[in-house]
Formats: sequence, C-alpha cells, structure tokens
Amino acid sequence: MKLGTKLTLFNTISKVVIVVLFVLLLPTLIRDINQSYTDNWLRHQKDKVLKIVSGPGINNYIQNGEGYGSYNALLKEEYVSLDVDSLNENIDTIINENRLVEGDTIQYRILSHNFKVGKQNYILEIGKSIDTINETTTPLQNIALEILLGMILLTILADQVYSTYVLRPLGLIIKTKLIGHKFPNHTPYKKVKTSTTDFEYLDISIHKMIQTIENTFQKEREFISNASHELMTPISILQSKIENMFEEEDMPDETKVRLIEMQKILNRLKSITKTLLLISQIENEQFLKEDSISLSELIHEVYEEISIRLQEKEINCEIDIPAEWRLNHVNKFLLFNLFFNLINNAIKYNKEHGEIKITGHTDNKFFLVAIADTGIGISAERVPHIFNRFKKFTQSLQQDSFGLGLPIVKSIADFHHIRIEVTSEPGSGTTFKLIFPADLITAQF
Amino acid sequence: MNVLIVEDEKALTNELEIFLSNSNYICDVCFNGASASEKIATNLYDFILIDLGLPDYDGLDLLKEAKKYNPEAACIILTARAEVNDRIKGLDLGADDYLPKPFSLLELQSRMQAIMRRKFGLKHSVVMLGNFVIDLTNRTISYNNTPIGTITKKEFDLVAYMLLHKNRTLTRSQLSEHIWGSVVNDDYDSNYIDAHIKNIRKKLNVYSSPDWLETVRGLGYRININH
Repeated sequence: MKLGTKLTLFNTISKVVIVVLFVLLLPTLIRDINQSYTDNWLRHQKDKVLKIVSGPGINNYIQNGEGYGSYNALLKEEYVSLDVDSLNENIDTIINENRLVEGDTIQYRILSHNFKVGKQNYILEIGKSIDTINETTTPLQNIALEILLGMILLTILADQVYSTYVLRPLGLIIKTKLIGHKFPNHTPYKKVKTSTTDFEYLDISIHKMIQTIENTFQKEREFISNASHELMTPISILQSKIENMFEEEDMPDETKVRLIEMQKILNRLKSITKTLLLISQIENEQFLKEDSISLSELIHEVYEEISIRLQEKEINCEIDIPAEWRLNHVNKFLLFNLFFNLINNAIKYNKEHGEIKITGHTDNKFFLVAIADTGIGISAERVPHIFNRFKKFTQSLQQDSFGLGLPIVKSIADFHHIRIEVTSEPGSGTTFKLIFPADLITAQF
Repeated sequence: MNVLIVEDEKALTNELEIFLSNSNYICDVCFNGASASEKIATNLYDFILIDLGLPDYDGLDLLKEAKKYNPEAACIILTARAEVNDRIKGLDLGADDYLPKPFSLLELQSRMQAIMRRKFGLKHSVVMLGNFVIDLTNRTISYNNTPIGTITKKEFDLVAYMLLHKNRTLTRSQLSEHIWGSVVNDDYDSNYIDAHIKNIRKKLNVYSSPDWLETVRGLGYRININH
C-alpha cells in the first residue's frame, strides 16, 4: 500500500474512532452539564425565595400552618413549596424524586432546604421537572455532534491536502529515479524539489547508489571493450604467422596438420573476443539504427546463409512472414545476427529430420515473430539463465559453442527494444517469441 | 606493385611483409607515423596499408596525407579498434577498404586484388577451368555455354575465393572466415565448408568431373590451374 494511502486511512480511522467515542459519551456529558446547570439554577432560586421571604416575613406565605405552593398550573414544569417542618432536621439536598401533582406523578429535580425563623423550622422545596431539563439535551447533543463532524471533516481535508503536498517529492523520486530509471542513463542528475530533509537525503542517496551502479556497469563495459580490442592485435599476429608458416614450401604435412589445429584454436579465441566486443559495442550504443528492411527478405537472407546447416541435419524449415512487414529504424547487421543466432540454435539443438517454423502474426499493437524448433528443449529451471554469458547446459555440444549465442541475441533485442519470450518443452522443442514494439514495424507494401 | 605498410606492431609488420613479398609485391615498412608521413610525401605507392592505432600519429591524418601526396595509391585501413565510427570516418576520408583485426592474410590479398580490378576496370574477368567457364564479373559458372543455375551464392563465393588464391591450399578456417566472416555467432569450429564443397562437386559432376578442385587430405582444398 502506498504511504499516502496509508496516511489517509490512518487519519480517517483515527478520526472516526474519536467521533464514535464522543457520540457514546455525549448523552452522559450533556446530562451532567444540564444537571449541574439545573442545580445552580435551583440554588439561585432558593436564594431568591429566601430573600423574598425574609422581606415581608414568613407569615405572609404560611398562614395557620398551611403551606405555600406554587407551580405552573398547566405544564407542571416547576414548582415552589414552603411549609412548616415539624421535624427538627437540617436538610439541604438536591435529588430526583417523584411528586404527585393534581393526580399526575411527575419526576422532579428537587432542592430541599431547611431554615428557621424564630423557633419554627421551615422547609423550602424548589423543583424542576426532569422532562423540562431533558428537553434541551437532545438539541444540545445534535449541535455538538454537527460541530464535531464538521470539524473532523475539515481536519481530514486539511490532513489530506497537507500529506499530499508533503509526500509529492517522494512520489516524484519513486517515479523518476526508480521506476523511470533505465541503464545506461545519459540524462544528468535532476534534484527533486523538497523542503523535507529526509526526502532530500533519500534522493541524493538513490542518486549516489545509481551512480555507483552506473560506474560499475561502465567500467565492466569499458573493460570488456578494451580487453577485446587489446586481444585483437596479438590474435592478428598469431593468425598471420600461422598462415605464413602454412605456406612455407619445406613444411612437412604433419606440421601443417598441427598448424591447422592451432588455427582452429585461434579461431575459437577470435570468435569469443569478437563476440564480446560486439556485445560491448551494442551496450555502448555504438551502432546506428537507420536501416529500413523487409523482415521477410532479411529472414530469407539468413536462411540462405544457414541453409547448409539445415541440409546437413535434413531439417525442414518453414518461413511464414507477411511480405508487407517492414522494419524501420533498425540496424540490419545486428538484426541479421539476431536471427542467424536464433535459427542456428534451432538447428544446433534440433534432431535429425526435425522441423523449424518461423511465423509472424500481429497481436493488438504488437508484431510477433516466433521461431519454433522440434529440438531437445530447455527445462523450466534453466530458462531464466539461458541469456547469461558463458552459460552452457548441454555437455555434448560443448565442443561447438561457448555460450555467447543467446547473449548476443539478448543484447541486440534490448538495443532495439524487442522483447523475447521463451517457452520450452524438454524433449519436444523450444519457441523463441520476439515481440516487436509497434513503431519498429510497419505493414506496408 | 609497391606497398607501404604502416604498422607499429613489428611482429605483424614482419608477417605482412613476408606474405606480400611472396605474392610479388614490393614492400616498404614503417613502424611509426612520423616516418610514414615522410615516406608518403616522397615515394609513390600502389597500396598504403595504415594501422589506425599508431602511438605517435592519428592514422586518419596519415590517410589525408596519403590522399594528398599519393593520390593514385589505394589505402586500406587496418585496425584493432573496430569502432563503428572509425570505419565510417575512414571510408569518408577516401580509404578504399577497411579491414578489422584480426584478418586473414588471404583476405587482405583478395581485397587488394578487388581494388586493382576496380581501378583498372577489368570489365570482364573470365577463367577457364577444364571445360568449365567461371565468369567472375557476372558470377556464373557455365559448361559449354550453358550456365549452371543450381550453384548458390555461397558456393560461387567459395569457388571464386579459391580461384583468386589458385594453386594454394586453403584451410577450412580460411574459407569459412571468408564466407561467414561477417556473421558473429556462437560456433567456432564448423565444418560446413566440406558440405559446400560436396554440393559444388555434385552439381558440377552432372556435366563433367571438376578435377581442378582438389581435396588436400587433412589440410583443406585448392584449385589447380596449370599454365
């Protein structure tokens, strides 16, 4: 999961948890607030009543031992009662209690207060119906909830905007430095703009690492290029010496036979060196891609070059490539070598009287060329390694090759952005499928 | 024919000199660019073989000098630095051919002969071999004025190469280097030359036995022409 997505998810979840907690706590919270507010109100009322009573005297309200009572007649929301208390208590409480008012039992929050005037003990009760108190609870809860939701949404939005902004350099680093990176890279280093030091560090570290890798690659390529170049001159001298010795008139035939053996060994050295040089030249992009050729003609040229090998093994080779397919912006020499090596392998690893099918077809935007043989095949675990240099699998064929045929194919294909897919069935054959990018082939006469 | 060999590698220069002298060329050798520059300015040559990798001189500069003071000479570039650009530059500057090291001495000679043929406009080059007529210009082999159509391009190349180096035994390596030299592949020891020769014999035998095409046991093949 992407960091940005994770952050958004965390933000949202944490806020949802807060909302749920708040919603659960809200009724109790509001009730408590309401209650304390009511209690304060009751005390305030009590003080007021006591003040009133102390003015005109208690007897204005209590006559003949008859208590005073007042309440809203209709809704019975509040009431005040003043009475003589026969018990000599000292009550000062606020509790919830039921009262019977005109036949209705109503729950009230009641403040009870004892006070003395002269020797007489009185009791004052002020009540407020619980229903009235609770009336405000629901709207209060709703308002609180709405404000909360609004704020949460606002913070989620703010978090989202900020994290997107702050994470943008990271996305840029991933996109340009990691996903979009190709070897070898010739574009200069471009710093990713960020004020976050961690990202700055990441960017520069990735850049340094890539540079190290590039340098190593470059050194390896230079080494192969220099080594193979340097080897060419001594090989050339040896080859000339052998050729001249072979021509000498007094040279006995046995010596000539040994000279031929030397020549063969020298050829082997020459082939390896030339091949390595070719691969390094391709990797150093020393070849131009300016040729435009008919694919079918190219394959027939390869066929002509290689037909003697087909004849030797009596292999039947079928070529079915649409005549109108043209390769553009390619290097003919390299593609010739690509097909030569693939078809040569198809012959080399084929059985006598075997078959090779070279077919072309289109698939969506791509042009596919398949070279299928009826040879010994490659086991599944070896397929990923067949393009490695100097990798040889078939011991019996060791005499004829040195394991650079497919690496040549691979570097030529990479150079032209041609993808290679290999499917193989040990014992029954191998198919190499070349997938040409759409801009490489046009289907025109 | 006068040949100037400019090559700093003495061992190679030596072999080139032996080989070309045996083929009746008169050789002059230089191991560095400075002395080559002097010789180019004073003597006239038919061929100048220039190694591009000289320690003291840019081989391409030498080529320019050669074109100036020795306009008649054919220049062949010999180099181990087979950079693709070098080749284009060399040919642009007027080199007649370009031979990357390592090369076969026979290949060098055949290139030199090809240049001579081009230069002197040998329009029609025809060789009689027994009752066969080999037309090197039109690339055909015919018998009693009937062209033998079954001979392939590769087969003709082989016959022509052997004909060029007539009365000389050519090894399989030399022959395969000539006809498959431009292919870079995995094989280093292919004996497909035998198969080609077998095919050539079979195709010619239909008309007459090609006695002039000799298999030299254990060594290779040769075309014999008796003068």
